[in-house]
Amino acid sequence: MAGPPLVPYHEGGTEEACLFLYPDHENLHDAKEVSVMKRTMRILLMMALVASLAVSLFAMGAGEAPKDTRKIINLWSFTDEVPKMVEKYKQLHPEFDYEVRTTIIATTDGAYQPALDQALAGGGDNAPDLYCAEAAFVLKYTQGDAAHFAAPYKSLGINVDAKLKEADIAPYTVDIGTNDAGDLVGLGYQATGGAFIYRRSIAKDVWGSDDPAFVTSKVGPGWDRFFAAAEDLARKGYAIVSGDGDIWHAVEGSSPQGWIVNDKLFIDPTREAFLDMSKMMLEKGYNNDTTDWTDAWFADMKDAGSKKVFGFFGPAWLINYVMAGNSGGSKPGEGTYGDWGVCEPPVGFFWGGTWVLANNQSPVKNGVGKLIEWITLDSSNTGLQYYWANGTLDGPGGTKDTVASGTVMKKSDGTLPFLGGQNMFDVFVPAGAFATGKNKTQYDETINIYWRDQVDNYANGMKTKAQAIADFKRVVADNLAIDI
Amino acid sequence: MKSIKASTITMKTVIYIVCIFLSLLSIFPFWVMIMNATRSTYQIQQTSVALFPGKSLVNNWKILTGKSFNPWVGFVNSMIISTGTTICAVYFSSLTAYALVAYTWRLRNAFFSFIMAVLMIPAQVSGIGFYQFMYKIGWTNSLLPLILPAIAAPAMVFFMRQYLMATLSLDIVASARIDGSGEFRTFNQIILPIMKPAMATQAIFTFVGSWNNLFIPLILLTRQEKYTMPIMVSLLRGDIYKTEYGSVYLGLTLTVLPLFVIYFILSKYIIAGVALGALKE
Amino acid sequence: MARKGVSYAKWGYIFSIPFVVTFIIFSLYPTLYTVVIGFTDLRGLGKTTFKFLSDPFANFTAILANVTFKQSLANTAIIWTMNFIPQITLALLLTAWFTTRRFQVKAQGAFKVLIYMPNIITAATIAILFNALFGYPKGPVNDLLIRLGFLDAPSNFHLQKWTSKGVIAFIQFWMWYGNSMIVLIAGVLGIDVTLFEAAEIDGANATQIFFRITLPRLKTIVLYVLITSMIGGLQMFDIPRLYNLGRPDNATLTSSVFIYNQAFSGSYLYNRASAASMIVFLIIVVLSVALFFIMRDKDEVKARKLERQIKRRGGVA
Repeated sequence: MAGPPLVPYHEGGTEEACLFLYPDHENLHDAKEVSVMKRTMRILLMMALVASLAVSLFAMGAGEAPKDTRKIINLWSFTDEVPKMVEKYKQLHPEFDYEVRTTIIATTDGAYQPALDQALAGGGDNAPDLYCAEAAFVLKYTQGDAAHFAAPYKSLGINVDAKLKEADIAPYTVDIGTNDAGDLVGLGYQATGGAFIYRRSIAKDVWGSDDPAFVTSKVGPGWDRFFAAAEDLARKGYAIVSGDGDIWHAVEGSSPQGWIVNDKLFIDPTREAFLDMSKMMLEKGYNNDTTDWTDAWFADMKDAGSKKVFGFFGPAWLINYVMAGNSGGSKPGEGTYGDWGVCEPPVGFFWGGTWVLANNQSPVKNGVGKLIEWITLDSSNTGLQYYWANGTLDGPGGTKDTVASGTVMKKSDGTLPFLGGQNMFDVFVPAGAFATGKNKTQYDETINIYWRDQVDNYANGMKTKAQAIADFKRVVADNLAIDI
Repeated sequence: MKSIKASTITMKTVIYIVCIFLSLLSIFPFWVMIMNATRSTYQIQQTSVALFPGKSLVNNWKILTGKSFNPWVGFVNSMIISTGTTICAVYFSSLTAYALVAYTWRLRNAFFSFIMAVLMIPAQVSGIGFYQFMYKIGWTNSLLPLILPAIAAPAMVFFMRQYLMATLSLDIVASARIDGSGEFRTFNQIILPIMKPAMATQAIFTFVGSWNNLFIPLILLTRQEKYTMPIMVSLLRGDIYKTEYGSVYLGLTLTVLPLFVIYFILSKYIIAGVALGALKE
Repeated sequence: MARKGVSYAKWGYIFSIPFVVTFIIFSLYPTLYTVVIGFTDLRGLGKTTFKFLSDPFANFTAILANVTFKQSLANTAIIWTMNFIPQITLALLLTAWFTTRRFQVKAQGAFKVLIYMPNIITAATIAILFNALFGYPKGPVNDLLIRLGFLDAPSNFHLQKWTSKGVIAFIQFWMWYGNSMIVLIAGVLGIDVTLFEAAEIDGANATQIFFRITLPRLKTIVLYVLITSMIGGLQMFDIPRLYNLGRPDNATLTSSVFIYNQAFSGSYLYNRASAASMIVFLIIVVLSVALFFIMRDKDEVKARKLERQIKRRGGVA
């Protein structure tokens, strides 16, 4: 149907129209549309930017941010986390007199990226100055097709090297946020290094101790020890995890290489091993065969599944935002609340997180630079990291979380009644160190969906392994035009 | 005599049973949606489908309004867009269909084929180019580009044409001409009333479709004061672990409520047991 | 027809102007552009220049050879058939019941209102709801079937290809059969009442009235339902994508979702997506023409043929 699909026709989809991003501009000439005013503005802006860049090149090390030409900052995000942070910053710094215009578009309908891409490409006054990217697609904006929109942090007036060291930022988030030229263009404020979150009472029942260091040595390092522990648990009628998805994030995050090597699809042996891991867990009853983010998976957090589940893999946000509410209680003693502990996982990985970036065409780099520095690199007690870690952003008693800055975590209190009083930072700080960002590609979100689909089919006996791998390769080639 | 009556009664029983079953089937998801609007996010995560209400209605409402969801603003914007779209689409489609049926002109069949061809273009093809075009000419954050394109609505033209072909007798037009009525007046005063059932049904469909439309408004309207209701509901979804499901369902329920009202208003045209045909001898 | 030297034909053109102008302004450029892209090498985000391929049909051959594309077409056809046959049957049946005066179904109004309601709810909500309904190992359908004794252990519906296809077909059916019914009823309401009265006086029973009087006059409307359902069905997007993203193993991947994936799942293959859109468009056109041909009004065709012959012979028979 021509035009925007407003008038619905029988049965078709009217909402999620497919998207063809047209290239912006002058090549496809629409003479009357590209107004002379717009063009002149753009040229002037370019000249201003070049001039200021030239100036900053002469100031060594700590770059001098160019002068801001307006007082409006366009902030694009997919949750209200960053907008709320900016509000807090303005409270703390009344001299920050910029007006911040926020655009929030959730990622769940797949609408955030197209809108963001369009706004970045379109330029002009409505273009984003500060924008967020989630772990699932951040690589596109830091190293991939949209990387040319991102401004290096040092061009925002931030002394990157010094600050990174001072704040002791987890290396994986720096890796992800560094572009191909070696400049840092994005950083995450959370640390989403993963750990293993286990049930204390079950550990005591099977091995006699629930001490984190002890459990760490039981479930790892390495998958062999993990599955030996699974066998111990199975003998007593417990499942070690809820579904195969739980160990997938750990497997994926810890593989030496990513899905694309030398421009071809590559199945890392550790990831290929997941096929058999999944099948084995199903056959030996090591899990409840749930799919993550479904009813049954949540139910396992409060022992409502067919077997009691020993543990979950995840970063701090899994504990605070997902498990706490689903544990069947809100204080120790109710449901499984308070019966959990956290220990180091058999392999290092990270999962999720939000990176903040700046637009390198932005006319307000100074203001944006101040915000970014406060959010990601400020390790003082009035920096965002400190408030976020201690849950004091909106006043006391908020949800705690792990942050990118190791310095902040070391001086923050991460004790949680949910974990029986354990300080989660003790585990998550080292966990952050051993996560790596070098094995990700911008196609991961899609490739992972195809991979897990094939693994499901193989684990449930619907295909042979060779067939599953062949189908996986074909689907990736068909949909992403990646060489196999 | 008796057997006819008996068979009618069995027939009617069958009809009632089937209709009641279908009605329950139709209400089911609405019921679940309303129930979920009263439960907390965690309860919903544990059991997505519940038949009984929970206790979190007030809490969900607080979260909803706390996230700068101003239902009133969303309602007004959605109302403007949907009403505008419906009026444009219905009126101009009827006009175009009338042109195709009442007059013989050389390009008539070609034009109809053209409209059908436009109808067959996959929606994806022009959707994106459209909003990209709007960005280029700077026509974002305005409700007009969401309303005006509805003037060209191929599916509706198709329907109106089929309807007119089946119900319109050209004698009426001829007699109106004899009475001295101009063509435009004939259309507005004589033809449109004949098309009431068709217009009512298409109006409902258009209104619903436009009201629920999320994607293009989401991309074109970035300022908060222009948000429509579906956009506001989508704001409630963040990362998968931060989505407040209870409030989302509450938002969805609020979004659907006005549709019920409009539907009940327009439905009497469909319920009418008497044909609204124009040829009464 | 009043033809006193005044031709009213120009009004046909005049009344069509709003449609044409609107179409040109809002749709022509995007549509033409997409057509052009199908012949180029445009892929990747934010590219501004493109070259025409030396083999202009390279994208088209690539798509036609693409196994996933062929699967998606097959799925679309299967799911649509599974959805449409029950839909049109039930819609016609209900229309017959509700418009037969003899039956006098009480609370007709309420039924019609309730049956249409599924069309009001957004596809996204429904897809998510049904996904949860068929959850494994715990989900309402599983729980119910176990309690009723049909299953011993929970069944993983999301891994079963035909079950998934069936669920999607069911959702489409359920969302749209009310819509079809209302369209058909509107069509029946336009039929002259006197015809029904005359038939009843002549002693026809309900079935005869429906098949001999109502249905033939509904032909144009039924054609509308058929064509729009087919076109819409061939572009089924929201439900398959939001229910399970085309899984398991591409069993529920429809052509629209395939096109969307080409353009948006990471590689931004706009040229291929355009080519695929055009192929789907051609399929739709062929099928629609076939449908129009099958459902043509044979009398009208004969009349037109006669007219043409008359004209050729110079005006007078």
